[in-house]
Amino acid sequence: MSDLSVESAPSVRTRMRSERMQRLKRNKLLYLMIIPGLLFFIVFKYIPMYGLIISFQDYKPHLGITGSEWVGWMHFDRLFHDPMFWTIFKNTLLLFLLNILIFFPIPIILALMLNELRLEWFKRTVQTIVYIPHFMSWVIIVSISFVMLTQDGGIINDLLAYFGFTKINFLMSEDWFRPIYILQVIWREAGWGTIIYLAAMAAIDPQQYEAARMDGASRFRQVWHVTLPAIRSVIVVLLILKIGDVLELGFEHVYLLLNAMNREVAEIFDTYVYTAGLRQGQFSYSTAVGFFKSFVGLILVMMANWLSKKFGEEGVY
Amino acid sequence: MRNTKKWFLLLCVMALSLSVFAGCADSSNTGSNAPNSGNQGNSNNGGEANAGGNGEEASDDPVQIEIMLPMKEKEVPSDRLELLMEEMTNTELTFQWVPDGNYDEKLNAAYATNSMPQVVYMKNQSTFTQYKEAMRDGQFWEIGPYLEEFEGLSKLKESILNNTKVDGKIYTLYLGRPLARQGMIYRKDWADNLGIQEPANVDEVYEMFRAFTEDDPDQNGQDDTIGLTDRSDLIYGAFKTVTSWFNTPNNWGEKDGQLQPEFMFDEYFDAMDWMKQLHTNGYMNQEFPVTSKEDQRNLFYNGTAGVYIGSMQDVNTLYNETIKNFPDMEIDVAAFIDGPNGDFGMWTIPGYGNLIMFPKNTIETEEELRDILAFFDKQMTPELANLMFWGIEDEHYEVVDGKANAFADKADQNAREVKGYKDSLIGEPETNGRYDGYHDLAARVKAEELILEMDNHLILDPTAALDSATYSDSGIRLQQLINDATYKYILGDIDRAGFEQEVDNWRSQGGDQMIEEFNAAWQANQ
Repeated sequence: MSDLSVESAPSVRTRMRSERMQRLKRNKLLYLMIIPGLLFFIVFKYIPMYGLIISFQDYKPHLGITGSEWVGWMHFDRLFHDPMFWTIFKNTLLLFLLNILIFFPIPIILALMLNELRLEWFKRTVQTIVYIPHFMSWVIIVSISFVMLTQDGGIINDLLAYFGFTKINFLMSEDWFRPIYILQVIWREAGWGTIIYLAAMAAIDPQQYEAARMDGASRFRQVWHVTLPAIRSVIVVLLILKIGDVLELGFEHVYLLLNAMNREVAEIFDTYVYTAGLRQGQFSYSTAVGFFKSFVGLILVMMANWLSKKFGEEGVY
Repeated sequence: MRNTKKWFLLLCVMALSLSVFAGCADSSNTGSNAPNSGNQGNSNNGGEANAGGNGEEASDDPVQIEIMLPMKEKEVPSDRLELLMEEMTNTELTFQWVPDGNYDEKLNAAYATNSMPQVVYMKNQSTFTQYKEAMRDGQFWEIGPYLEEFEGLSKLKESILNNTKVDGKIYTLYLGRPLARQGMIYRKDWADNLGIQEPANVDEVYEMFRAFTEDDPDQNGQDDTIGLTDRSDLIYGAFKTVTSWFNTPNNWGEKDGQLQPEFMFDEYFDAMDWMKQLHTNGYMNQEFPVTSKEDQRNLFYNGTAGVYIGSMQDVNTLYNETIKNFPDMEIDVAAFIDGPNGDFGMWTIPGYGNLIMFPKNTIETEEELRDILAFFDKQMTPELANLMFWGIEDEHYEVVDGKANAFADKADQNAREVKGYKDSLIGEPETNGRYDGYHDLAARVKAEELILEMDNHLILDPTAALDSATYSDSGIRLQQLINDATYKYILGDIDRAGFEQEVDNWRSQGGDQMIEEFNAAWQANQ
């Protein structure tokens, strides 16, 4: 028994290896084309990870990574005892949940609606119009909102005043920060997010719709029973990817909205890393904060992937 | 056929990977450039041991100097003056202009990656404080001992250099600025319309804000004016100046024989209450905590607001821009605003607007340092000082009564060609011998007189020359707690108890330690 396995295992392995070699040979050009992408990830994603070392050091630029003193978990310890930590953690997670619960379904709904449009030129026009905001920088979007929402002559507050309501302090209130944040995200990204869904919908076999119609399915039933199941795996993959960006809430966006009056709800990990690291020169500490953030992100992705496999979907790895 | 296709594909792949490599190579090149150019300057002059020394250039090769400095204009200044400066000083200058708004960020990034050039400007006092530890660590040249070798640099004022000392050593050159120049700039025509005299105490200022808001100062029959225009800056905006009017100490003050931060003094609350009332009654722009400097000034330019509190030297800009919209407008300044008990004082900066430091890892030898200091030494001669500060005579300015008058009709050209260098010149008129400014705007002449007069009423910061490890380490973060609380108090989001609670947070997060450290240093100094 044991003899057998000892004998057979290498032969199986060699066969597999030779098969793999053959496949490699056959598609060598395709594999060659991966190289630039691989290089990109190695150079810009993996090599920089070397810098994470400084989160365990008392990093002094002139001493460099090799010469700085090791301090173990000191910076993480400080982070978990930082009175701001739980505020930041809560703010980050809340914005993330808003992103998943409110923003994520919107491109799907929009794509479904666009998919149902019969006039081709109308559909294309609408599509183009909803894409455009994606190409605007956050600076512009936040500035436009600022001009519209300000109490000193902003159009929305002027309208409120005209109809006899009291003016609302949108820009400097803790209550309005999150709604404004998510509305801006929706305005900028919803249209762009439809692209992949629309592509997935275009790939659905029209015969399925014909069959559904024959069975007397209404438009809504067709959407429910044909379109949605067909794009389900796309939705799941995109959801996992979205969760991967969990804590990438857009530094620029939040930083622009942040001010003294809403810091309690608006300070997130990204803005905190910026203030602590670049503005105050605490390089090791801010690296530790960033490291922790990425770690949480990794755990969430793994959880989402595991869940999706549990439910019989494919997952991203 | 198949072969050509193959080769084509292969070529594509190679081109792609090459472009990736090229990208990497590029970035690594620029990264190593800075130290290289430094070494070149060094090897050129390394042979001549007597180079520098008395500040004279012995060699004919121009000295290469790379300088990183903040830029207050939106565009990089033209190199016109730069070329003239190089000719005058036998140098090859490379300026790295960094927008003022994110200068500290760029500075820290350069430091973290060891890519500081030979000469770095600090931006302001708080950035300087952050680098104290690095100075103690020997990261920057201690230039104190070299200053007396240079005729010009030895003229720099000792009292101001003292404010820049770290453990009694001088590491920096300074850019001199008047000690106190804060005051109020207001629409004289509005005041005249309402029969208001120049205010002399806080109640009169308050009354002016009220009248400017409620009594239709522009007489257009509409309720469209406010008193004060302010911005999201508690220091160079209105607030710190107001605290001075209420006789609050400058950052730190003495109470019960101990140094305490300004916000533990009752006067600080009086000032906040005063601002709060202005805000509640609508006598100032409601969203000042999110107002930019530009928006703040626009409210003045477009005739919405009648008072600006800040540097009185801004009166020219405010006048020039506002008169475009209101040809009949008049402007005036006021500085001596007494507090509730009749005393006047004004907070002061430590006499410098910016500091210059010399990193050791890019300046490797004393000779090289001397060569670079020689360049700054020439900035202390009238020829170079005037060129940098005023530009080219008869093109950017003219000399009237021994003073320089910048051509007003060439304001744009001046901003493009001169402003950047003007903001980077070391010393002050008394020491570098540049012309004083000639002003024909009456309000500006008055402002300059008031600034001189205020020198006798300064509220000094007792901690300016003191040290606290906690302050260098987390001073900015802790100050943010107080700044946020101050805004919230003025806007009525928190009351005195809420503010006290933030002060308690400040204390427990390092404030108590800071108080202790400053007091220890203070006792030791006395």
